[in-house]
Amino acid sequence: MEELKKGGIFNISDLKNVRISIGEIVEEEEEWEPMGPHPMPGIATLRNWDFLLLNRYKPFYAPLCDMCCLCTYGKCDLTGNKKGACGIRMDAQHGRIVLLACLVGCSAHCGHGRHMLHEMIKKFGGDVPIDFGPEVDVEAPLTRLVCGIKPKTIRDYEKVFDYIEEQIVQLADALHTGQEGSYMDFESKALHMGMLDSLGKEAADIIQIACYGMPTSYEGGGPDVPLVDVGIGTIDTTKPVVLVIGHNVPPAADIGDYLTENGLEDKVELAGICCTSIDTTRVYKKAKIAAALGRQLRVIRMGIADVVVVDEQCIRADILELCQRVHSPLIVTNDKAMHGLVDRTDDNPDKIVDDLVSGRVPGVVILDPEQVGEVAVKTVIQMDKKRKGLNLILSDEEFKYYVNDCILCGNCTLACPNGLRIGEANQSAASGDIEPLAGLFDLCVGCGRCEQVCKKHIPIVDVITKAAYPQIKEEKGRMRIGRGPVWDSEIRDVGAPIVLGTIPGIIAPIGCGNYPNGTKDAWLIVKEFAERNYIVTLTGCMAIDCALWKDEEGKTVYEQHHGRFDAGGVLNIGSCVSNAHIHDAAIKVASIFAGRPLRGNYEEIADYILSRVGACGVAWGAMSQKAASIATGFNRLGVPAVVGPHGAKYRRAFLGRPDLKDDWKLIDATDGSEIYFEPGPQHLLVACETVEEALPMIAKLCFRPSDTDRGRSIKLTHYIDLSLKYLNAYPPDWHLFVRTATDLPIANKNELLKKLEDEHDWEIDWKMKRIKEGPIRGYDPSFNPTNLRRLIREKKK
Amino acid sequence: MGMEIPFDVANIPGPEMGEVAPPEVIGSYISSAKRPLLVVGSEILRDDFFLETAIEIGRRGVPIAATGHSIRGFVEKEYTENVSYYNLHELTNCLRDPSWKGLDGKGNYDFVIFFGIVYYYASQMLSCIKNFAIDPLIRAVSIDRYYHPQARMSFTNISPEMEEGYKDMLNRLVSSIK
Ligand code: SF4
Ligand code: SF4
Ligand code: SF4
Repeated sequence: MEELKKGGIFNISDLKNVRISIGEIVEEEEEWEPMGPHPMPGIATLRNWDFLLLNRYKPFYAPLCDMCCLCTYGKCDLTGNKKGACGIRMDAQHGRIVLLACLVGCSAHCGHGRHMLHEMIKKFGGDVPIDFGPEVDVEAPLTRLVCGIKPKTIRDYEKVFDYIEEQIVQLADALHTGQEGSYMDFESKALHMGMLDSLGKEAADIIQIACYGMPTSYEGGGPDVPLVDVGIGTIDTTKPVVLVIGHNVPPAADIGDYLTENGLEDKVELAGICCTSIDTTRVYKKAKIAAALGRQLRVIRMGIADVVVVDEQCIRADILELCQRVHSPLIVTNDKAMHGLVDRTDDNPDKIVDDLVSGRVPGVVILDPEQVGEVAVKTVIQMDKKRKGLNLILSDEEFKYYVNDCILCGNCTLACPNGLRIGEANQSAASGDIEPLAGLFDLCVGCGRCEQVCKKHIPIVDVITKAAYPQIKEEKGRMRIGRGPVWDSEIRDVGAPIVLGTIPGIIAPIGCGNYPNGTKDAWLIVKEFAERNYIVTLTGCMAIDCALWKDEEGKTVYEQHHGRFDAGGVLNIGSCVSNAHIHDAAIKVASIFAGRPLRGNYEEIADYILSRVGACGVAWGAMSQKAASIATGFNRLGVPAVVGPHGAKYRRAFLGRPDLKDDWKLIDATDGSEIYFEPGPQHLLVACETVEEALPMIAKLCFRPSDTDRGRSIKLTHYIDLSLKYLNAYPPDWHLFVRTATDLPIANKNELLKKLEDEHDWEIDWKMKRIKEGPIRGYDPSFNPTNLRRLIREKKK
Repeated sequence: MGMEIPFDVANIPGPEMGEVAPPEVIGSYISSAKRPLLVVGSEILRDDFFLETAIEIGRRGVPIAATGHSIRGFVEKEYTENVSYYNLHELTNCLRDPSWKGLDGKGNYDFVIFFGIVYYYASQMLSCIKNFAIDPLIRAVSIDRYYHPQARMSFTNISPEMEEGYKDMLNRLVSSIK
């Protein structure tokens, strides 16, 4: 039977022998924009775009393991790019592992999003409007771009998740033994997965913003969002403390509601770790952020929490054991992470509280967020009394005993992901100098591996905490709460300067806390770029960690810089799922500022972003599979990312080769001519060894072929300056980005012209201060760069 | 003798794990290499001695790729003769391509020495060279105070207490480069 329009009339008495099956009632869609070429793309739809990227930024593999053990033919030794029994080569196998990582990461975001949608429809109904206030008309750029859907209510996301989930299953299928055999195709699939990841994140954040009234462009939102306390030192442990950990805010939001409804806001501390904490501050104004992921183990071991509530993602797998050790009852709230506990969702709340407080059970599963609110608060009030007097920080005697007991065997160092020299620090402490041990606190990523191998059973984590305790108590920062979407009006103001290059770039520090050298690097990255008038947009752990440090005036980067999406701004966009709004900002530059069609038009928008939007992600402590899928999603959209040295363990990078001239060809869409261009951006994914190296690299990855000479000169100024400041040397490739003399930084133009002449054999017209010969290409303000032949306006005669 | 323990204890890549070699052996390989390359990282900046060692190897005709922010040290010592900054990912990506022109435009290398690079980053890049720079073969070795199973040859793990012994090994290595 034909589809029935909602509100249509038909006469049922005319029907004979007809079986009626009620399918979806199709609502007439408002024609908001003509549909583009690629709505809801399948695996192969955007493959040409992927191959274009992959041919320029060739996948680079660094195996973490030379074997494969995925099927019973194995183990197979793939060393030296050999093939396994199924015929797969080492390179393709690594493409496969990357796809697997992206699958896991994407599933976490999208599983979370779907779960959120279910919960919110149950709680608020499906008709909650998606309305982000007067400054945000393009409410869901990725949803429009990928799906061709303009969502009006949260229910519209049912279709979006249906699409994502189907694609995830199809991509997972490709992982089976005897399927895909080409590393290029595995990477194309990983890029597809990354795109789905970004879409799923956008969906998850939009749903929670709409339902919880998180900041938007209504009053008090955007640049005006308030600051909150960050840091272990800000938690008032004289009060009962509920500690929430994870990424799914509903249980924490309901704890906040319960506190508010019962007048307990000033009597109970609600603090969090990781993205749940960021999102809690978006819904409950008294919430505090205890720490980012890297401090999880230590915050729990310090015994700060009288109750721990976990939801999903980035929770320690040994969370129950940790909580038991410090007598903190554990409430788990999500069926994806139940930790072997009994599901008490349908039980009487007071009975559950009694069981937890009495210690009859170490923890419970409660899958109803409202119930969590009540149980957590009632439990914490009683537990606080019970836990008073419990001191989980080592005494001076215990500390002394342990540091003296260390035999300097070095086992801990071999077990430590950062190779920290714990034994030597113990030795210094034993002879009276605790500074080396205290200094390890921020360098430690809080994994606990060291303790398991210490034959002397030294509680190393506690020993370090004890040494650093005075500094931990002073860990008191301030951070803007997550603001969510970048406003359309902000994009209108900065679209031109971004594309012309006069705002030198959008820097997006995101993700986890697996830093090579502590949290201070996060602060330094933000500070350097904000002071240089880049726009710094943060999410997740880096948004938290950078707020732990202060400048000479005692101000954090959030206090020192404004929160507008504009030059010099430092914006906390929100939790990990919120980083979709950074994709969205880039997309909106293309659609709002440049007027490119958005609907179902991924390829063209990504092409625009790659060539014109100088944005660069920075995942300095990237650790999780989510970080892998996030970065891969950024990459497909044409945004490069820099990772820290641990990021090399993702096994794959996307690296450009400036020495291969033919990799750097663009089309001028005005007439179809082909132009060799400078390598901007040079890479899509690259690791740096140290922050000193990363700073100029990040600046370098902001060059785009569309830069005007003024913009290029600003970008070059920062690239050269950061390189001189941190590497004490000119970047060896700065000249590649010079097209004309007016591209050069004005302050030292003559000096640079001389260098071009002397070191690179360029021909300079000194009288006119012009470059006669040398650059890859000249500067043409009318150049209209594209990688897509179909966008050529008029074929060259 | 038991199996050598990787500095990052779980970093066991597979059937092919690097040999532990004395400094003189590595030195003689460097001497007999047609195109050796020294790749240094930020950890050489932790003590002047390491920087001087790298410069000494450079003076013996081995070009240096300074990765991380190690180039700082060379500039400060005013040794810029055969040193170029390279990002380690970029450099390794080039090394795996037989047609790469090298730092001097004369072609790729056949023997690569890793020195003073953050352990796990170095290990990944050594893995890339071992697995993909195979035809023609590039031998990559490590002269750090860590056992690097992904290198063809490596020193053993050397604890900070043995720093002097390690320095002595480096001295022996340098003097064995002919
Ligand atoms: S999937 Fe292929 S490479 Fe892996 S174990 Fe099976 S046969 Fe070997
Ligand atoms: S807990 Fe800290 S010190 Fe211990 S192994 Fe992990 S990172 Fe290293
Ligand atoms: S493992 Fe234990 S005894 Fe050995 S060095 Fe580390 S802390 Fe000391």
